[in-house]
Amino acid sequence: MTDPLLSVRDLQKYYYEQDTFVDTLLGRERQSVKAVDGISFDIEPGETLGLVGESGCGKSTTGETLLRLREATGGAVEFDGENVFEMGSDELKAFRKDAQIVFQDPFSSLDPRMTIGDIIAEPLRIHDMPTDPGDKSKREWRRDKASELLERVGLSATQLDRYPHEFSGGQRQRIGVARALALEPEFIVLDEPVSALDVSVQAQVLNLLDDLQTELGLTYLFIAHDLSVVRHICDRVAVMYLGNIVELGPTDELFESPKHPYTEALLESVPRPSTREQGRRVDALSGDVPSPRNPPSGCRFRTRCPKVIPPDDLDIDQEAYRAVMDLRDALVVGDVNPDHIWETADPERVDEEAFIEEARARHVDAELRGDVASVVDTALGHLVDGDVEQTQTVLRETFESPCETRRPGVGDTTHPAACHLYEGSDEVEVIETTADAPVSADD
Amino acid sequence: MADPILKIRDLSTSFFTEEGKVNAVDSVTFDVEDGEIFGIVGESGSGKSVTALSVIDLIDSPGRVTGGEVWYRNADLAEEFRGSRPEAVDGDFVDVRRLPKGVRRSLRGPSFSMIFQDAMSSFNPSITVGEQIAEAVEVQRRARANPRRTRSRTQGYGLGSAILDTFLPNRDYVSNESMDRAVELLDQVGIPDPEDRAEEYPHQFSGGMLQRAMIAQALAGEPDILVADEPTTALDVTIQAQILNLLRDLQEQEGMSILMITHNLGVIARMCDRVGVMYAGEIVERGPLGDIFENPVHPYTQGLLGSVPDIDDPSDRLEPITGNVPSLLESEMPDACYFADRCPKAMTDCMTRIPEYDLDGRHSVRCVLAEREYDEADALEQEVMADD
Repeated sequence: MTDPLLSVRDLQKYYYEQDTFVDTLLGRERQSVKAVDGISFDIEPGETLGLVGESGCGKSTTGETLLRLREATGGAVEFDGENVFEMGSDELKAFRKDAQIVFQDPFSSLDPRMTIGDIIAEPLRIHDMPTDPGDKSKREWRRDKASELLERVGLSATQLDRYPHEFSGGQRQRIGVARALALEPEFIVLDEPVSALDVSVQAQVLNLLDDLQTELGLTYLFIAHDLSVVRHICDRVAVMYLGNIVELGPTDELFESPKHPYTEALLESVPRPSTREQGRRVDALSGDVPSPRNPPSGCRFRTRCPKVIPPDDLDIDQEAYRAVMDLRDALVVGDVNPDHIWETADPERVDEEAFIEEARARHVDAELRGDVASVVDTALGHLVDGDVEQTQTVLRETFESPCETRRPGVGDTTHPAACHLYEGSDEVEVIETTADAPVSADD
Repeated sequence: MADPILKIRDLSTSFFTEEGKVNAVDSVTFDVEDGEIFGIVGESGSGKSVTALSVIDLIDSPGRVTGGEVWYRNADLAEEFRGSRPEAVDGDFVDVRRLPKGVRRSLRGPSFSMIFQDAMSSFNPSITVGEQIAEAVEVQRRARANPRRTRSRTQGYGLGSAILDTFLPNRDYVSNESMDRAVELLDQVGIPDPEDRAEEYPHQFSGGMLQRAMIAQALAGEPDILVADEPTTALDVTIQAQILNLLRDLQEQEGMSILMITHNLGVIARMCDRVGVMYAGEIVERGPLGDIFENPVHPYTQGLLGSVPDIDDPSDRLEPITGNVPSLLESEMPDACYFADRCPKAMTDCMTRIPEYDLDGRHSVRCVLAEREYDEADALEQEVMADD
């Protein structure tokens, strides 16, 4: 294998809240938001790596951090063998010539007061290009280059003196691509380049990006939330969830045999434009993505995972176990309110059995049997006096999952998945959560 | 087949702007059957949302519904207006557009209800979610108690109410029963711990939860027809799957019909029984899902389907439609098929307005290809578009 063009190691980007001087004076502890929490991947020259995930998973932050448009809080990025985070200003300027970005929103990423020609030529001006304009003035050279680029992305050179508002969304996105190409970069971060476009125009832009890559030998990091687009354009795909990469693999392999339960659920959820889709009922993931301010311990996905692993000594089917884990999560986020249960069960607050029954009806979404049922009932019994903490303790003693105590790492194979289900097959290294805890005080 | 619940005939809506008249919806015709999900799909600016708003009579100045009929099946209303407005009644159907304004307004809620794309901006940020849902319940409750009054006058709006609201706290409008019903509705749409969530404000809800809350609000009047305008567009796929499941469950439980507006062909495929494809304000093709997806006749429908990357089978190259969506300014609209300048199969025949051709009683299309084969000898010379 060739050396990777870009190599990202344990990249970390935290944002801090309550981090001002006043907060320090008041003795408030700063809160971290873990937008990107230790991710690693390589990009080979000439390939397209897709970065997919839902909103808030940190994919755009990753793209911006690795170009040093935002300062990382940890980790390293090597571009062509050089560490981007340690570059001095001259080296950084050279790096920015080689690495470009196209943004999602074609409306806000072009200056409305500049003509298209000026927008495309601006990077050239900033880098004082060309060094040798021949018999033309630098200005003329740049203008010629801009018209060349404009035609290259499928617009007409006669439109050079128009302003962005005169163009449609698809055309503006082409202008954004032309600007990114101006410095003849090796590597382009495409941050949701087609999300704002209608499907017919989206297809035009995707074809354009494809052509440019073949012609100019470009390397792409393609950030997207639309899995169909990713399947179409990427060579390899990394799936992100809550600041972590949960699975990374060659596109076809990942789409045809996904390993991580999150990837499976994501692929399952996408509505296909085909008659076979009619009336298809998806087993939707329950709940919402947890907040990155206070992410779940261990595996980040465990609060929604349909394959969460029960402790070894517990005999329980998945449906019941998921229901118990949902109850535990509901207790943690404060969705269980004993007062409301009392109101429905027995406003006089005497009939404890009715209380437990009502609590079960409300918060346990499966039929429980045997020992499991009695442990859950005992736990719910503590809610009678409103002792949520004791309820949690009782449940934790019996039901604590390996998924919540240990954080799965991404292994080092061609198709790694960060999931405890793949442990023992040598594919997953395990990081102890405690040892891995970052230097923040919030969790 | 049973009568449809809604028959839209030649509905047109225009916006009268400074630049000129914009024909956002142009002679749109379709039926919504009882208990079905009818989908309207199109790109931005195709007029699908305006169609929805026109059906439910929510077009605001500078826009106006300029023509057409909205026949709604409701035996009680038909009986009531048979004498006074015979032109608005046809069997069990009433033409909503020809009913008095107060009656039209009273239909919103118990007959038609709507959910919007952006839940965050559809709720009032300074009133709790529970109260906003309870308000919808309360309006229906009062309307039922005194239909005459609410039909002739507005409920809770207008100058008198505005003055009253200034002196009396807003909460007084909502009774405890309505609040309880709001909690029930929140529970029905799958919001955990509904009693507490009802007391929270919109910003405390996630996008998916707020979309559920908006659906709860729309259900308050137990509508016959739910108009869902891009209900999942702002949501992530896993949340989208939850909301689509919820809509389907509710549709089955409540037996209502849904008019579903979306740009996502996948959502259409999963949810809809029949579908209309919109382009430049017209429904260019309409029929059962299978016909539209498997045997599309209109080149635009074909182009739209060809533009979507297939997640299960990444073919080598997408086949996009060239060019851009046209302007809908009346002065710039050609006296020809609106799609002709982007159409790969445009012929000289296309240079007149194209009527709607009925293919087999269920499938109809606005394209000359319904009647004849494409013949290269008649091909229209395309101007070379700057864009491609």
